[in-house]
Amino acid sequence: MDNPSIRIAFRSLISLAFAGVAVTACTTHEYPGRRANDAGDSSGVSAVAPSATSTSAGENVTGATAPTGPGWGIPADGDWTTQGRDYANTRYSPLAEIDTNNVSSLRIAWSFNDGVLHGHEGTPLVANNTMYLVTPFPDIAYALDLTKPGAPIKWTYRPNPSPIAIGKACCDVVNRGWQLADGKLIYNLLDGHTVAVDAATGKEVWRTQVYDVTQGVTMTMAPVIVKDKVLVGNSGGEMGVLGSLTALDLKTGKIDWQATSTGPDSLVKIGPDFKPFYSWMQGKNLGETTWPAGAWKNGAGAVWGWITYDPDLNLIYAGTSNTGPWNAQQRPGLNLWTSGVFARDPDNGMAKWAFVFTPHNEWDYDGVNENILVNLPINGKQRKVMVQFNRNGFAYTIDRATGEVLVASPFGHENWASGIDSVTKMPIVVPEKKTEVPGHWVRDICPADIGVKDEQPAAFSPRTGLFYVPVQNICMDYKGREVSYIAGTPYWGADMTRHVGPGGNYGEFIAWNASTGKKVWGIPEKFLVYSGVLVTGGDVAFYGTVDGWFRAVNARTGKILWSQKLGSGIIGAPMTFRGPDGHQYVSVLAGVGGAAMVTKAMPGFPARGGTLYTFALDSAVPAIGQTSAPGVQGSQSGGSSNGAQAKGKR
Amino acid sequence: MTIHAFAFRSAPCFRAAAIALLIGSVQACKGQPELLREGSTGGIPLPKDSTLARVALGDLAGSTRNTLLTSIKNPYEGNTGAIEAGGELFIRMNCVACHGYDARGGMGPDLTDTYWRYGGSPAEIYKSISEGRPQGMPAWGAMLTSDELWKLTAYVQNLGGSFPAALAEQGKQGNLGTTLDTATGVLKGRQSEP
Repeated sequence: MDNPSIRIAFRSLISLAFAGVAVTACTTHEYPGRRANDAGDSSGVSAVAPSATSTSAGENVTGATAPTGPGWGIPADGDWTTQGRDYANTRYSPLAEIDTNNVSSLRIAWSFNDGVLHGHEGTPLVANNTMYLVTPFPDIAYALDLTKPGAPIKWTYRPNPSPIAIGKACCDVVNRGWQLADGKLIYNLLDGHTVAVDAATGKEVWRTQVYDVTQGVTMTMAPVIVKDKVLVGNSGGEMGVLGSLTALDLKTGKIDWQATSTGPDSLVKIGPDFKPFYSWMQGKNLGETTWPAGAWKNGAGAVWGWITYDPDLNLIYAGTSNTGPWNAQQRPGLNLWTSGVFARDPDNGMAKWAFVFTPHNEWDYDGVNENILVNLPINGKQRKVMVQFNRNGFAYTIDRATGEVLVASPFGHENWASGIDSVTKMPIVVPEKKTEVPGHWVRDICPADIGVKDEQPAAFSPRTGLFYVPVQNICMDYKGREVSYIAGTPYWGADMTRHVGPGGNYGEFIAWNASTGKKVWGIPEKFLVYSGVLVTGGDVAFYGTVDGWFRAVNARTGKILWSQKLGSGIIGAPMTFRGPDGHQYVSVLAGVGGAAMVTKAMPGFPARGGTLYTFALDSAVPAIGQTSAPGVQGSQSGGSSNGAQAKGKR
Repeated sequence: MTIHAFAFRSAPCFRAAAIALLIGSVQACKGQPELLREGSTGGIPLPKDSTLARVALGDLAGSTRNTLLTSIKNPYEGNTGAIEAGGELFIRMNCVACHGYDARGGMGPDLTDTYWRYGGSPAEIYKSISEGRPQGMPAWGAMLTSDELWKLTAYVQNLGGSFPAALAEQGKQGNLGTTLDTATGVLKGRQSEP
C-alpha cells in the first residue's frame, strides 16, 4: 500500500502546516547554487532523493521512449499546436537553447493580460509566428503577433457564450485548452458549443451546439482533432449528466457520432469487437445492468479530460468522470463505465476495450486524467503502453492495445485502498474508508475528491525516460447525503471538508519510473502543485505552484535551477516555442482558480489573475527589446524599451 | 427519474413542473390556492405577486426612488417553524449543492455575507429564488409555492447576511455599518477573510 520511498520522504519532513519556515530534512540534499530569488520562497523546498539517482547526461534511465513517426501529430520543433504537443501527450519539446546550465538567467520577455479573472487551465499555442490564447468564460480567443515587439494583439474573437453556464460549472468556469488544425483554432465554449475560428483572421467558421447547458451540461475540455474528426466531451459529473464523447466533422462542425459512458451497449458503442481484458467487465449491456434501474441516465461518466491517440493502432483513449451522485448508496452495483477509460476507434466511436479504475466509486475519483502513450520495457520486453496518474492515487501502466494493467502503484499518499488486486486489478478498499452509508462522517480519507493528481497534465521526456508529475497531498472528511435529481441542479449528495495530508505540504513535484512504478525523486511544495508540466530537450522541467512560483528543475536530478514568482497562482501548463528571432521562449498562464480553490483559506493564497508570461534567456531578450520608442523617428540608438536594465546576474 | 421519492406538498404540480423543466419549458403552477394555515404568518398576508412584479432588478437609471423594497416584508421573518421548513427545502431542492450545506458558497454565491449580486432585501431574495438569475440560479417559482418561497427566504434571511426591508435602500448603497440591529440578528459588516 504505502510506497516506502514516499513514507521516507514524508517522515523526513518536519510537519509545518503553514508555518512557512524552510525545512531542512536529514535525508535531503541541500542543493548547491540556490539562487537569491529562491530565498523568498517560503515553501520549504528540498529535493528528496530516496535513492541516489543522478543520471549522467544523455542517459535514459528507464528505457521508456516516446512514439515517433508520421501520424503522431508532432509539430515542427519550434511550434506547439495542440495542448499535449503531440498525440501521445508527452508535453516534451526538443528545443534545447535553454538548458540546465543557463536556465538560471531566464527573464520575462513580455507579458499579456487577458482581462479575465477565472481559472486559467490551458496551454498557449504557437504556429506561424502567432500565439493563440483562449480565456476562461467568456471564452475569448486572442491571436498575438510574435513578429512585433511585445507581441501585440492580431485579432480577438468573442463568442459570447450563455452566462447560464456560469451556474452549471462545478469547479470554476475554466477552459482546458484549444487546438490548431486545418487552418482553424478549435475549442469548446462553457455553454455546450464547439467553435472553429479561422486562425488567420479570427472569423468564426462554424459553431455547433453539442450539449444542453440548461440540463447542467457544460464543456471545459480540450478538443482533439483526429483525421477529419473533432473529438469533444462533456462536463457535469456533479450535475447528474449522461457522460459522452462526441465526434464532429472538422470541415462543417456537424455531429458525426456520439458514444455515451453509461447505458446499453448500443449507446455506449460497444459491439462484437469490444474486448475488455478483465472478466468482470465482460458481458452484455453492463453500462445498464451494473446500476439500479434507470440510474445510468444520471450516472455521470462525463468525458471532461484529455484525449490521446495512437495512429498505428487507430485508437483514441478517453477517460470517464466520477459516478453520479457521489452518494454511492443510491446506486448499488459496479456502475460501469464511469471512473474508467475507453479505447475507441476514432472513425466510428466503437469501443475496443475499457478499464474501470474505481468501480462503484464512493470518493469522486474520476478517470479522466491524461493517458500518456509511451513504449517501455516490462520484465525485459518492450511494451506499447499508456500511463495514467489516476485521481485515486495509483499510477497505472496499461497495455494500450489490450487494456491489460501491467503496473499499478501509489504515486503519492493514499489510504483508501490497501493495494490493487493482482487478478482483477480492482482496488482493495479499506473498509473504514467506505462512504457508502450516508449520514455519518468518514474521517481522513486520502486523497480528497480532487485526488493525488487532478486534471493538471504530467509530461514525459524521451531523453530521461521519466514522467514528471504534479502531485497533491490532500485528504477529506466526507459525509454522504441523500439527494434527489432535479434537472439542471447538482446531483451531488455529499458534504465534505478537506485538509492537508501527512507532512503538511499540499503539493509535490515528482519524477516517476512507469516500468517499475516507483518515484525517482520529489520536490515537496507547501501549496498545491496544480500546474501542468513541460519538459525539454535541454533536460529542464517546468512547473508552477498555486501560490504563483514558476520553477525550472533539472529533469535528471530534481534540482531547482530557477524560480520566478508570478502575479497569480499557476494552474495552466507551460509550453515552449522558437520565436521569429530564432530564440527559445517559455510561456505560462498565471490565473489561479479551478479545483485549486479548495485550498483558498490558506494564508498567502494568491488573488485571481489572468496573465500570460513569456520568458527568454537574458542574452536573448534584447533581440526583441531593442526597439525604438513609438514616435521616435529614425533613431536606432535608443535604449531598449524594456527598461534598459543592467545586464548580468541579478 | 428520482431514486428517492420525497413527499412534495404539491406533488402533482411538482411532477408537472419537473417534466416541464426537463423538456426545457417553464411553466408556473397555476390555480394553486396558497393554503396558509391560519396564524402561520401571524395573520399577515403574503405579499401579492402583482406588487412583487413591480420590484425592479437592480437600480434603474432615471427611475424615481422605488420604495417597494422598504415596504415589502417577509411575513415569516424570524418565525422559527418557517425558518426550519425553509432549511429543509434548502436541502431537499439541492440548494446545498451550489450554496453549500453551511450556505457559505461553492458553485453558487455565499449567502451568509452581505454581498448580494441581485439585492439582499426580502423581496429581492424572494424574486431571485422565484425567477432565477442569469448566472445559473434556476427559477424555483415553477416548482414551489409562494408560501414555500417565503419560507426559503426566511431561512436565507436568518443566515445573517440579508438586509432587513427597512434598511434595503442603505444596503443597496453599501451602507452596511458594522452592527445594524435587524429583526433576525446582527447584520455583519465587511469582514476580512479567515
